[in-house]
This record gives sequence, structure tokens and C-alpha cells, in this order.
Amino acid sequence: MSALARSLRSPRVLIALVMILCILGCAIFAGQISPNDPGDQNLLSILIPPAWAKSGDPAFRLGTDSLGRDVLSRLIYGARTAMLVAFFASLGAMIIGTVLAHISGYFGGTVDWIIGRLVDVWMSFPPVILSLILMVGLGVGLDRVILAIILVDWTRFCRVLRSEVLIVTRHDYVAAARLLGFTHWQAIIREVLPATLPLLITLMSLEMAIAVIVEAILSFVGLGVGADQPAWGQMIADARQYVYQSPWNLLLPALAIFFTVTAFNLLGDGLRRTLDVRLSESGR
Amino acid sequence: MIGIIGKLIARRLLTAVPILIAVSALLFCVLRVLPVDPAAMSLPPTATLAEIEAKRHEMGLDKPLPEQYFIWLTDALHGDFGPSIQYRRDSGSLVAATLPATIQLATAAMVLAAILGVGGGLLMFRVRGTPMEPVIDFASILLLSIPEFLWGLILLFVFGVLLHVLPFTGQVAPGLPLPRITGFLLFDSLLVGRFDIFFSAAQHLILPAVALGLAFSPTIMRVLRSSLFDVYHEDYIQQARLRGLSEGHILVRHAFKNASLPTLTLAGVQFGILFSGTLLVEVIYSYPGMGNLMVDAVRNADLPLIQAIGLTYCIIVLIINTVVDGLYVVLNPKLRVG
Amino acid sequence: MDLTVTVRIDGAVVPAIRGLSFELPPGKILGLVGESGAGKSMVGRAIAQLLPVGFSITAGSLLFEGEDLVQMPLPRRRALLGRAIGFIPQQPMTALNPVMTVGAQFDEHLARLGEGGYVERRKRAIAALAAAHLQDAGSLLGRYPHQLSGGMLQRVLIALAFSSNPRLVIADEPTTALDVTIHPQILRLIAEMQREHTTAVIFITHDLRLAAQLCDQVVVMYAGRAIESGPARSILSRPAHPYTRCLQLANPTMQDERRALYVIPDQMPSLRQLQKMPGCHFAPRCPLVVENCRRADPPDIWIGADHRVACLRAADMAAIATIDEAAASPEISARIVLQVEKLQKRYRIGDALFGGARLVEAVKGASFNIAENEFVALVGESGSGKSTIAKLLVGLEQPSGGRILLNGDDLTDPSLRGRVRRAASLQMVFQDPQSALNPRRRIGRIITQAMEAGNRHATWQERLTRTKELLAEVGLSADFATRLPGQLSGGQRQRINIARALCNIPKVLVADEIVSGLDVSIQAQLLNLLARLRSELGFGMLFISHDLSVVRHLCSRVLVMYRGEIVEQGPIQAVFSDPQHPHTRALVSSVPPDDPQAAWPALKAALAEY
Repeated sequence: MSALARSLRSPRVLIALVMILCILGCAIFAGQISPNDPGDQNLLSILIPPAWAKSGDPAFRLGTDSLGRDVLSRLIYGARTAMLVAFFASLGAMIIGTVLAHISGYFGGTVDWIIGRLVDVWMSFPPVILSLILMVGLGVGLDRVILAIILVDWTRFCRVLRSEVLIVTRHDYVAAARLLGFTHWQAIIREVLPATLPLLITLMSLEMAIAVIVEAILSFVGLGVGADQPAWGQMIADARQYVYQSPWNLLLPALAIFFTVTAFNLLGDGLRRTLDVRLSESGR
Repeated sequence: MIGIIGKLIARRLLTAVPILIAVSALLFCVLRVLPVDPAAMSLPPTATLAEIEAKRHEMGLDKPLPEQYFIWLTDALHGDFGPSIQYRRDSGSLVAATLPATIQLATAAMVLAAILGVGGGLLMFRVRGTPMEPVIDFASILLLSIPEFLWGLILLFVFGVLLHVLPFTGQVAPGLPLPRITGFLLFDSLLVGRFDIFFSAAQHLILPAVALGLAFSPTIMRVLRSSLFDVYHEDYIQQARLRGLSEGHILVRHAFKNASLPTLTLAGVQFGILFSGTLLVEVIYSYPGMGNLMVDAVRNADLPLIQAIGLTYCIIVLIINTVVDGLYVVLNPKLRVG
Repeated sequence: MDLTVTVRIDGAVVPAIRGLSFELPPGKILGLVGESGAGKSMVGRAIAQLLPVGFSITAGSLLFEGEDLVQMPLPRRRALLGRAIGFIPQQPMTALNPVMTVGAQFDEHLARLGEGGYVERRKRAIAALAAAHLQDAGSLLGRYPHQLSGGMLQRVLIALAFSSNPRLVIADEPTTALDVTIHPQILRLIAEMQREHTTAVIFITHDLRLAAQLCDQVVVMYAGRAIESGPARSILSRPAHPYTRCLQLANPTMQDERRALYVIPDQMPSLRQLQKMPGCHFAPRCPLVVENCRRADPPDIWIGADHRVACLRAADMAAIATIDEAAASPEISARIVLQVEKLQKRYRIGDALFGGARLVEAVKGASFNIAENEFVALVGESGSGKSTIAKLLVGLEQPSGGRILLNGDDLTDPSLRGRVRRAASLQMVFQDPQSALNPRRRIGRIITQAMEAGNRHATWQERLTRTKELLAEVGLSADFATRLPGQLSGGQRQRINIARALCNIPKVLVADEIVSGLDVSIQAQLLNLLARLRSELGFGMLFISHDLSVVRHLCSRVLVMYRGEIVEQGPIQAVFSDPQHPHTRALVSSVPPDDPQAAWPALKAALAEY
């Protein structure tokens, strides 16, 4: 676990973790922090600019949207949506992708070929298109979004991890374990997996960034988590029509997405540097 | 070499066919899961149940699934993708009408992304070891974190709304005729000698292309930077130094050539993703391309159209991948003669 | 054309090379001999001024033809490289850009030298390649590096280095990465070119005997210091420094009586350790050490007109206590424990779909036996099939034909019971200590890995006990159990490798090139260890190696492989002293003679390419 300690000393990782904690805080304590109910429509006070502008209202710190809903509250609850999707979608994609990557890379041969062809077919679909189509088929909703992302992105995990699994499996110590009597299962779990774990964690972090983006895109085109749940993408879609009257309604959720995605990307990059350097023993 | 490329293309085609069949079957099945009745959708709301049933029979929706798929497949091979429910025209022709615009946009964006990516990558490599390195690296991560639709919105807001310098709706200024020869507006306008159309089209292309290009350039930058890094650790670079070659010569004649290979592969993959990224940008800028058509189709559950467009995207990505693979073989001698 | 070097190189204020001085007259070959880490490659890089990050020359001068390289401005120095100073690299396979043709790179080199137009240069390139005895130079120029063999590439690189008629060429272990039978050819080529252009050559190597044959002068380096220098043959036939003498005694020989190798304890101090080491760097390991050795730097003593030694006790040629007993040749039991009958392995490579699929026979009908406590050597070059046989024996690959019988049981049964039986009796020690040990496991858990395999559930206590036993067996202290492989040296890792294989006391061990790439002193430790383990535990071993003197020391019988077949087998002394098969003869003649004064026919004579 010294790798963990080393990672924590990297400035990128630290900054990223702080950022993620902020968002996580919003997500978990949304009920407590949020000043208003995000679904509350105040049709008398629509499109109010943020509190620091001329006609701002201190009750709505960041203004209201076209249905009079408090932007700040929607942002905070949107964080919950984003984090839920990010976490569960990347977890699911990670599990499927990892299992298949290890089986494929370790056993090679026909199994590898079959899984490889499967991944090829799956990946010849541009991800955005595929997720759109899946959403059409699955219908809107938070769980459907998570499922759609899992079904689209597991291939990314699989492909990248498979190369790593191939490299690790080539090492003599895996063969030695087999010679000493390890079953395939034991060899994969005890020898290969610990070696691919760092890459896995890095990929998962990056996947969370992608999941946030995809969720925003889906909400933007109206095929996301559904109108009842606040989502940043949806806020942007709404605000687009009124961009002349209240540009802040467009910029604030965009900023939120940017902040979150940057945090995950930073984390992934920072982890990759600390973990990769130790593994390959070459400075970078 | 021609022989090798020929073999490569043949092999690609062989694998492409089952892929396309699998993909189209996937599409077909996914869409049939919908609780949407295409028959009901294509009749006016006052239609009676009997009429709907008749329509269903006419559309062949009461047949078993594999049979429906087979019928669709044979029709598709003849170019008939079935009528779009919304537009009541053949889906194939709808796609053909909008595809060139998307290709135009994607190409312009890719060129931009390549230029920015290579330039940025070289810059990142140049500053390695200097105090500027972490700064530029951080900037590239920030750049990476802005997806294309956010870029689209930001650019629209800044240059379209705030500053009013660039147009952000449609493909050309309204009121201008659209000559249709090849379908590619930029070419067609030049072919008929109408420079005002050309200029307007180019103007309207700027914001969407820049949005896409900016979104996809950071990946290229970073891959080029890390490939150059990898290459510089190789033995032959050191040997070249020992032969007395200058650093500049080494960078251009040796390092870049080798580093461009993985970069090219990635750029190829990125083009595929970029191509699908056009969808969002088209929506944001109301650009009349295939992506916009797709979003409409999806919103209205226009199944034949969705299938046609989905398949088209797939084919284009496959073509791009094949071209990239071919280029890779041409550039990498190890694969050529082996 | 003198070269005087007095160099202090600091890496974080640690002297990597200290006070190195030597002179190289024009047209002579100077050997820089030492084990890895001694600093010999560093000298080459210092001359090129291409030192790694953190290293710099902090004192001394590098006088090249009267000018000091250290003081020279960078452009002038760079101008010398490739022109007046040439380099021959260690790894020919990676020394050229893989995406450019050989011809393009040669042309680039000649263009830099300013050799006239394209046609001119091409003619010169062809001439240079022909002088390096390469056939069909014209078409060779059009090929890519990966299409040429290691030997051919090295010839190209040698031609390249000499093409500018340099005054000095630095050859950094040019034969280490090549097959043994190619060594004499390459060395002969270097000697030829050197004579022809009257170039001074600095020849870096770890092989004492090689240096004795090829070089005029020799400088022996240890831990950054030149500890002995002088004429090659006299130094190596009558070495004065204890290190050089120990090194000779640690080298297994081809001709002499077999005796236990002298073991120099521990290993060469690393850069970090050098910081806190006053006095002579060899003192901790020296058999002739006295108190004064540790106090101050050893003085330079002259023995004879040109033989310089950095040792307090040089003049006093005390005997180094060696174990003079002949290595006890154990009684080879008559019981055959491993029988291999007509083993075959075929691979299909190439593209099955589009034609061009070839069937490659890696092993063609190999048959041999190993008795109960017999060490049998398997020698051959790369591609001969020896590694394939290793994999077939232990079950990493399945044979296409033939049988493997262990105590009568057929091992080619792939069932689980078969695997378990095999695991219990046949184990492998892998070549690369880097990749053979899981860097995340602690040593204790690595050694007893066999005890956690399959359905075994050994208790923690049992594993601890066994760990202690095994560590003691291989001569390591018990506290190694909690360390990680990354903290161990190459030699120590190989011991762990061996210990792991011995955990369940197998009947036969397969050792695939386990001492290749290790320093002579470490190698000696491991060889002695293996001999001792054999007498204690009584297992048989198939010892695969390309180093003939090593196998001769350790094994009683030898199998010679060439292109998948066993072309000769028999008692090792007999086969090596009177080889029958041409390939065996080529192998034997590729080893430099033990006696520095003796002539090496392969180097002198024109040996037909086999």
C-alpha cells in the first residue's frame, strides 16, 4: 500500500481529490445544503439573474431558470445525479471490461479471438450514437442512463486492459505460478490482477469523467435521466433557448460539468503518473 | 506493397461484413424493444384500430423478428432503407442529402484538430524539463476536460451572442440558394462560381469546426508528446547522437517519423469519435447534417431512419479505420515486408 | 594521437569514476575490462560527452590528439563524433532507426561527412559494406534493420563507424548480444578494420580471456577505479591485483582440471555505497586485505616498466587461498529418472487465411535421458530449440509428438492429476530474474508459492519454517523473507528463483540460462551453490546455456542442439575436447582459450561461415 501513500503525495492527485470531495459533498448532503427544492417552480420569478446582478434576488443566489426553479439548488442536486452516474456506470463498465480483458489476455487463442471480435463489433459503433440508440430502446431514467453507459463503455476498459494483461502474463512469474501448481483462476487473481490493478484504477477515474460527459449529453438531447431529476445537461438544454436573457443559466451548469470532468481527469492523470512510474521503472 | 494493402483491404472487408450484419441486427433488435408502434405513428391520430392493424400488416410488423430483419436487410442491400415515418420519404435519400454536410464539418474539424494537436504536442515536448512543463501539461488537462458540446456552447455564446462576429445557425446565410452538384456545399459553390455562397458557408463552418477541433486536439497533443518521449528513450536515438547528428536533425528525421505512427493510429480512432461528435455540434448550431437528423429521428422514434443513419455512421467509421490501418502499413516497414 | 584521461565524474556528489588515467597510442587496441557497474561504459560516454543526467566530468582532462575534449565547446565536440571518433554499439538490433532503410541511414552519415553527391556516397557505402565482408551490398542498403540478422547488422555498424577513417573507435561490448559462433568473426572484422585504418580502439568487455586475445593494452576497472593496467597478455597471465586474480579463479575453464570456483563474496559496491567508502574499494571483498587498505586510497605501484597496479600488497604476491580440491564429481546414479523420446514441436506461423502459413519445426525428434543426480547440459545458439525443449519438459507447451517419461510415468497427460504430479517432480528455474519474481510479493511468499497452489492449504507456520529452510539452503539469511524482489541484486534473485523451484524437492530441475547476464563473481557463487545442492538433495538437472565453459564446469554430459535437432551428445569432456559435428566444432572454437598466451585460431584463421 505504499503506492497509495506515494499517490497521495502527488499534487495533481491531491487537488483532484479535494475537488471530487467538494462535488461528493454536494451530492451527498444535497438535501442539507440546498436552499430550495430544485423542482419547485415559481412561475412569478422566472429567469431571474444571479444575486450579484442588478435585478437579482437573494432568495435565489444564482438566479432561476425558465420555470422559476432555483439554479443553485438544481446545480447541487445535479451533482448528485452526476456522481451517481459516474460511480455506478464506471463500476459496471469496469467489472465487465476487466473480467473479459483478463480472460481474453490470459488465455489467448480462440477465447481471445472471440472476445476480440465482440469488442470490434461493439466498437465500430461511435459511442455517442450507440448510447443514443440504447436510450431510445431503454427509455429515460437514471438507471437506464447508467446501463446505457455500461453497455457502451465496457469495450474501452476491455481493450486497454487486455494489452496490459498480455504484457503481465508474458512475465515468467505467471508461468512459474502455473508450474508450481496454481490453477488458472489462482494465477489470474493472485499474480495478474494485482499487477493490472493500478491501470484499472486509473482507467476507472478517467471513465468517471467520460460518464459525466455522456450523462450531460444525453440529458442535453432530452434522453437522459428524465425531467423530474435535475441534471446539468438538461439545465443547459433549457438555458439554450434563453441565452440572450440569462446567459448565466447556460454558463453555470457548463462550469459545473467542466469542474467535475477536470477533477476526474486530473485524478486519472495523477494516478497514472505515480503508479505507472513505479511499474515500468522508467522516469517520465 | 500494393499486394499487402490489397490483402489488408480484403481482410477488412471480410470482417466488415459480419460486423455490419451484427450491428444492423443489434440496431434492429434494440429498436423493436421500444413500446412504440411504428404503424400507429405513421397514421393520423384519428385512425381506428382496424386501420392500424392493416397498416401493421402492410409494414410487415406482424411477422416474426428474424423475418422482418431479413426483409429489411435485402431491401437495404438494394438501397431501400424504408420510408421515414416523420418525413414520409425514403430514409436512404434523407441520409444522402445530409451526409455531405456532416463530412464537410468533420473534415474541417479534423484538419484543425490535427494542426492544433501536432503543434501542441511538439510544444509540450519542447518544454519538457523546463518549469513551463507542468503548467502546459495542466493546461492540456483542462483543455481535455471540455467536451465538444461545451465548446460549442461557449463559442456560440462568446462569438455569436456576446461579440456578434460569427454566425451560429445553419449552414449558410438564409436566403442564399444551395447549389447541389456533389452535395458538398463548399465545392458546389465554387463550381458554380458563387463566391458569396462559398464565403457564407465557410463563415458558418467556423464555429462548429473550431468547437470540434478544440475538443479533439488535446488527445492528439498528449499522445504525440508521450510517443516522442518513448522514442527518445530508444537506443537508436542515442546512437544517432553518437554519430554526431544534431538534436534538431534527430527530432525531425528520426524521432518524429517514429512517433507519428502511434499518433496516427490514435488520430484515426479519434476521427471516428469526432465523426459522432458532430452530432452534438450540429444540434447546437442547428447545422443541417446527419447528426441533427439523427436527434430528430430519435426524438420521434422514427425507426427506419434511425437504422439507416446508425448504419451509415458505422460504415463511415469502418472506412476510416481501414484507411488508417492501410496508412499505418504504408508507414511502418515492419508490417510491410516482415 | 594520445589519449590521457584523468576523470572524476560526480552523480550527486558521488564519484562514479575516480582518477582514471590511461594513454592510448595510435593504432593500438586498449581493453577496458570490468564487471557490470565498474564504470567501463561510462568512460565511453564521457568521451562522447553524452553522460546521463546528473553526471558530469568534474576533474581531469580528455586529451584527444592534443586537444582537451572537456574544455572544448559543444559544436566542435559534436563535429568530432562520427568523424574522428566512432562508436560500435552493444545492441546492433536496436541501434538503427527501424523505419528507415539501412541505406538511408548510411547515406545520412556519409552526407554529414560531406562526401560528395548521392551517387558518390552510394558507391562509398557499397565499398564500405563489401570491406566488412557483406554480400550483395547493393540490395542490403535497401533493406530495413529488422530484416537483417544481428551479425549482419553489427557488420554494417562497424562499417559505418570506420567509414569516416576515424582516429578512435570505441566498441562497447560489441559481441555480447550476438550468438557465440559469430563472436570470432566480428572480432576479426574489428581487428582487420583497425589495422587497415590504423585506428586506436577502446574495446570494452567483461571477458578477461577475450581481452587477452584481442587487445594490446588492458585496463581493469573496479568500482570506478582503474586497479590494474598494462600490456594485455602479461597482465592476464600474471595478474598482480587481488581482484584480477580472484576474477580469473572465478572463471570456469575449458581445459583445466575441474575444481570449485573461487567465490568473491558479496558484490561490487553500488554508486550509493561508494560515498561512504574510504580507502580501497575492493577492501570489503579482498582476500589479502590489511588494515591500511581501508584507510587511504591504494597507491599506484609499478611492476615492470608498463604494468601498473593500484594495491598496497601488489608487490607481495601472496597466494590466494583457493579450494584446491577437484570439484567432487558425484557418483552418477545409474537410475534414469527422465526419459525423453523423439520429442517434437511444430508451430504454425504466418497468415493462415491468406496463404503464407508455414509450419516451423522447433524441435525435431529429440531423445535423451537424465539420471537421478546427473547434470546434463543443453547448448546451442538462439533459435536452436533449447528453450522450446525446456518449455515442453515442464508443460508450458504441449509436444506435437514424442513422449516424456518421468520415472516411467508419461507426463504428456494434460489432466489435473498429471499436472500435479508434474509440478511435484519437474520444476523450472527461469532465466530473467527481473521477470521471474512477482515484484509485489515478499520473498517469503515467493519461495513457498508451491505451498499455496491448488488445493493445498499450508498453515502460516509451515510456510515460515519452510521459508527459513530454503533460505538457508541457498545461502541467504532469514531476514530476506520480508524483502521485496526489487530490493535484491540479480544474483540474489536467482537464488530465490532456485529456492522456489526446490520447495517441493523436485526430481529434475530445468535451468534455462540462469547465469547468463550475471557477473563472473556472481556466476561463480551460483555454480558452486548448484553443485552443493546437488550433493545435498540429489536432483537431476537439464542446464541450458550458451556458455561452454560454464557447462563444462558444472555438468557431466552435454547435448548440442542445432536447428531443432540434437546433433551431438555425450560426456562433456569428450565432446568438447574432440567435437565431431561441425556445429559443435564451431561452438568450441568460439570460446577464447583459457591461457592468455595461447593463440586463438578462430581469431586468426579464416574460418568458413557455418
